[in-house]
Amino acid sequence: MKLDPRTKLFMVFVVSLIVMMSATTPFLWAIRLSITLIPIILMILEKKYSSALKFLLAYASALVLMFYFLSEQSEGLIASLLIGYCGIVVQFMPAIITAWYVVRTTKIGEFMSCMQKMHVPDGIAVSLAVVMRFFPTIKEEYSSINDAMRMRGVMLGGGNVLRMFEFRMIPLLFSCVNIGEELSAAAITRGLGGDVKRSSVIELKLGIADYLIMTFLAVATVIFVVFKYFL
Amino acid sequence: MSIVELENVNFQYKGSKDGSLNNINLNIEKGQTVLLCGASGSGKTSIIRLINGLIPHYYSGELEGNITVAGHDVRKTELHELAGTVGTVFQNPRSQFFSVDTDGEIAFGPENIGLEPKEIKARLNDVVAEMDLDDLLGRSIFDLSGGQKQRIACASVAALLPDIILLDEPSSNLDFDSIELLRGTILEWKRQGKTIIISEHRLWYLKDAVDRVIYMENGVMAKEWTGEEFKGLNEEEVKSYKLRPIVLEEELIRDIRGESTSSFCDVESNIELKDFFFSYKTRPYLLFKKKFKESDGELLNLNIPYLKIPKGKVIGLVGPNGTGKSTFLRCLCGLEGDCKGAIVSDGKIYKARQRLKICYLVMQDVNHQLFTDSVKSEVMLSMKDEDEKRCDEILESLGLLEYKDTHPMALSGGQKQRVAIASAIASGAEILLFDEPTSGLDYSHMEKVGELLNELASTGASVIVSTHDPELISECCDYVLGIKHGKAVYLKENKKL
Repeated sequence: MKLDPRTKLFMVFVVSLIVMMSATTPFLWAIRLSITLIPIILMILEKKYSSALKFLLAYASALVLMFYFLSEQSEGLIASLLIGYCGIVVQFMPAIITAWYVVRTTKIGEFMSCMQKMHVPDGIAVSLAVVMRFFPTIKEEYSSINDAMRMRGVMLGGGNVLRMFEFRMIPLLFSCVNIGEELSAAAITRGLGGDVKRSSVIELKLGIADYLIMTFLAVATVIFVVFKYFL
Repeated sequence: MSIVELENVNFQYKGSKDGSLNNINLNIEKGQTVLLCGASGSGKTSIIRLINGLIPHYYSGELEGNITVAGHDVRKTELHELAGTVGTVFQNPRSQFFSVDTDGEIAFGPENIGLEPKEIKARLNDVVAEMDLDDLLGRSIFDLSGGQKQRIACASVAALLPDIILLDEPSSNLDFDSIELLRGTILEWKRQGKTIIISEHRLWYLKDAVDRVIYMENGVMAKEWTGEEFKGLNEEEVKSYKLRPIVLEEELIRDIRGESTSSFCDVESNIELKDFFFSYKTRPYLLFKKKFKESDGELLNLNIPYLKIPKGKVIGLVGPNGTGKSTFLRCLCGLEGDCKGAIVSDGKIYKARQRLKICYLVMQDVNHQLFTDSVKSEVMLSMKDEDEKRCDEILESLGLLEYKDTHPMALSGGQKQRVAIASAIASGAEILLFDEPTSGLDYSHMEKVGELLNELASTGASVIVSTHDPELISECCDYVLGIKHGKAVYLKENKKL
């Protein structure tokens, strides 16, 4: 199923909003969980089964741990580490899942077209698009650097945490700067940055699924806010 | 009618002498195909950048003289105004893509100049039909091979319908068959009457396409040939200009494509490789990994049950892209942990992680491999017991001693490569692996790499070098090992020059 990028952006916004407000009653938790399930279901519809399964497992296990095995009275190092870890996962994972889904399933062209529809200035749209374009590059570069470190047996930086970090970051920064420079040279020779209004080959249209999801998200948010702050 | 005019042009980059230009006067007629050749840093790329306007609008420096391209005064024209007139295919396929998907990339240029969606779709269809790209549509750029990326790069330039097309070392990362395709594209553009300017080290694929050849030396246009004259140059003359060969031997071409009919020759002192199987595809089991066997056949990206390779020699690893050369190197040196193969050398068996200790892979992009803040500490990092004397010896032998305290990232590409080799030697590895060390190098740098590989072998190390450069093979390889579809298909002795 293809969703409109505008729906996806709205989803990111709503999920982030709800993540920032803590759920205090079982009813609020129910709303939160149903909102978290939406990107997971969408991932399954996009045939990204393994990622959906991983996110679902990670989130579910953190939830179960949090509610059945840990309480405010838990003591000891492991319990306190777990509380911190599970707390963060339970609180923020929905936003991460949504962001992952959006970045993975949105083409740069769709994103640019969506920005134009929303009358975002080209400058901002292009910068955001480049950020999206850079994630896979960073991943690629990072994995080659990791290989090189394994080759040289310096994975752990000789036991020095700072060096461990330095050995990864320095080559990564150098290559990202180089790639970025060549990338922008290539882009401007193809006319990026002109005063002409950019056009877009992708024509966006909101479908029934888009309206359904947006309505559901909006209603859920309103109910959440009303029940949390006004009742 | 001249479409490109450079008049008394002088240029020097800010803070660097490399690639500066001296008194360049060049007129290029509409429809001509011009080749720029010469050593790295001789100013080829700078001329390309003058014509597409990246100099002075993107790379700044001191510029004198007049540059006119299709009636535009480049110095006074904004870069985006040149977009429909001049198109550029760059060297590195990794960094010239704006989109992540192929369709979006081809549409990117036309979108920038604000064409109607209908018109863009029509152009997309034209370009796809013309360049036969159907099978590449709708794919992620990150899943394409270097050759496929370069085809998309050409298409995305062509979609803007420029009259002038510039190519800056476009074949650097390509294998033989991809270069043939690139040649086809260039010939098609030539047929359409486009003006084409190519800066290139590899010359054999262009000899029938070019009308003029300009030889650059230290920022000066030192020599010019017509296409006919250029084809007629003999081997000696080409060598005296430090250019890569214009004509390749048939046998070398067969070798490089992995299509030699030879089988496995006998080697006396050898290293044995056993049970090298590997697959990138998803594993059949969830919790533990399947152990691969020879009979898994098609599933495997690497399938070498047994192979004997000569010891203390330089072995050229050849075959088309994507058929297992890099996989072979990665598995051999132990980077792919799932590959359970064993190396037997001098009666000792090295398995899994131990392979990392006797092998060292010098990667294609050496920038990924340098971590510290000085050349000296880079070499020391590889040593089990830090030994300053040994470090100096190694640096001396590679001509790097004077750069001992320099930051590796401040060195030139060739020097960085030597620092990586120095760390390889310091690690005490007896099997040294090189992944395409000469792609994008000019003739004299390639010659130097060849000499270096020979020296390494003469100190007893076994050197395996994957390459698409026939020149490098005839320069330094004692043996050629062909890989195809993940299998070793031949090992033959090679006559060195």
